[in-house]
Amino acid sequence: MIVAGIDVGSTTTKVVVLKAGDTKEILGKNIIQTGFNHAETIEESLSLALRSARIDKKDITYIIGTGYGRNNVAFADKKVTEIACHGHGAHFYFPNARTIIDIGGQDSKIIKLDNTGRIIDFAMNEKCAAGTGRFLEVMAKVLQVELDQMGELSNAATTGITISSMCTVFAESEVISKISQGYRREDIINGLHGAVSDRVIPLGKRLGINNDIIMTGGVAKNKGIISSFEKKLDSKIFVPEDPQIIGALGAALIASLETANTKAKKN
Amino acid sequence: MKAMEIFYEISRDPYAYARKWKNQTGKKAVGYFCSYTPEELISGTGALPLRIFGTREHITCADSHLQSYCCSLVRGGLEDALTGRLAFLDGTVFPHTCDSIQRLSDIWRLNAGFPFHIDVILPVKLDTESARTYLLDVFHKFRRELEQELGPISDEKLSETIRLYNNIRRLLEEIYLMRSANPAVISGRDVYAVVKSAMVMDRNDLYGALRKTVDALKKESPAADNSKRIVLAGGVCNHPDIYSHLEKAGARVVWDELCTGTRYFEGMADESGDPVAALAQRYADRIVCPAKHCGADKRGRNLVDIVKNHQAQGVIFLILKFCDPHSFDYPYMKEYLDKKNIPSMLLELEEQLPAEGQLATRFESFIEML
Repeated sequence: MIVAGIDVGSTTTKVVVLKAGDTKEILGKNIIQTGFNHAETIEESLSLALRSARIDKKDITYIIGTGYGRNNVAFADKKVTEIACHGHGAHFYFPNARTIIDIGGQDSKIIKLDNTGRIIDFAMNEKCAAGTGRFLEVMAKVLQVELDQMGELSNAATTGITISSMCTVFAESEVISKISQGYRREDIINGLHGAVSDRVIPLGKRLGINNDIIMTGGVAKNKGIISSFEKKLDSKIFVPEDPQIIGALGAALIASLETANTKAKKN
Repeated sequence: MKAMEIFYEISRDPYAYARKWKNQTGKKAVGYFCSYTPEELISGTGALPLRIFGTREHITCADSHLQSYCCSLVRGGLEDALTGRLAFLDGTVFPHTCDSIQRLSDIWRLNAGFPFHIDVILPVKLDTESARTYLLDVFHKFRRELEQELGPISDEKLSETIRLYNNIRRLLEEIYLMRSANPAVISGRDVYAVVKSAMVMDRNDLYGALRKTVDALKKESPAADNSKRIVLAGGVCNHPDIYSHLEKAGARVVWDELCTGTRYFEGMADESGDPVAALAQRYADRIVCPAKHCGADKRGRNLVDIVKNHQAQGVIFLILKFCDPHSFDYPYMKEYLDKKNIPSMLLELEEQLPAEGQLATRFESFIEML
């Protein structure tokens, strides 16, 4: 049986096509920018994922929509919050996961799991974009680097810089003043990564951060962010192979549970 | 429900109601902040006590008088005063509770210019003998100051007003109890409209409207759904949409511990003996708000009791951003719940709710967790 999870995030839309059953296997996946028209984005991302899986849409038995645009997945059999999905997705790769740090385009979340993978608590950033992917996007532009280069560049940092402004707009001015003071790009980027982890860690400390710690969401692709968290939490952070699709994968995993449940009921 | 119409009309625009009431009765209207204002004394003079809830409008004038870390209740109240939306008021009353309300009182007196302005300097600690004696003196002084502005209040009239208020409280409590017994009987939005109106409406008319509502609710017997049972805790909630979001996410509020809820109507005043002493006693006895002190564990224990008594599955704290009394108390309140394995979540509020998507995700995730 084949199922799909569709995660309509604020910045990107992700689709995972999954072979359900005892041995689960990702058959296809896709990540595209979330456009103005959610319905079109969802259609496009799903058909690209189906193409990569060489599967026809009619062969999918169950679809779950998640992410902030989940209610726009009109054809979904069910909608589930991304918090539940990241929980399932992280638990799938790391059964010892107890704390998930999920940083997406506009949200950062801390999710706590018990030893069965059930969510026991969570915290989310308030309205402000500090400590999210958007923050890094804005800064990449100011620093004239590509977003996906930032992780590598920060590894070459030699001087510690603190970016202390809470607000993305003020932090941008702070970065501009660092540039004019002649600081190296690598050092500024390293300082920005520190600013992200400084925003997110207090969220987690409120709930208590337990090992193993998993990081999911698009921002987890940035190695500089990971090492900033590892240093401050003095603990290893586990990152799944493709952290950006964990929400969509979790949705697909829940879909496979749902189909198993309905099957059990029928029998 | 037809009985609800009046409450929706008043809660949507309390100021329009008060202006109309003044025109029709020729009597005076007195604005106040906080549930620590002994409303009976104001009502006893024949005036209309009206709670100020902050504003629905954009804040443009208040911010030149206040620092940006004041809560939206304080900023919004001052905004309505400065822009003339409260110009119909004959006076305002400021009970001494949180720091922001205390300092707002001075700014208000100097800049807003209402015919009279009374500060009610309450004690902070309420569980000592000397605090009770002092509280009684404060209420006597408040009565004298009101009488100077609004005319004499006889003891008979005050006792009659206390009886009226007790009856109102009983009816509000009855609505809450009916909702706790079957949360589908009345929507959260309806209860919000009732409680908000109760702090605005002519209290005699209120009694009649509540009576009708209770009678109408008794005839309703909707099938109970399997929504999760939630308790709201915190300060002022002036967002009816919260209830719709919660209901959409599969939960219903079964009780609350809010200033715009049980903190307003909980506890009866003694109907025999000295009426002012009875009012003071009510405030000294009831569960405090976090701006007051009454023993270290009363609030925490009370919240756990509420959850147990109403078989709630979780608590949502609604705290106004920058409200320091509630924010300082929150970790302590959460700890009480954690010890009893009662799940809770915190939502910080301002005059605008968080973006709908974020709000729905929080509520749905919390409710999935229960």
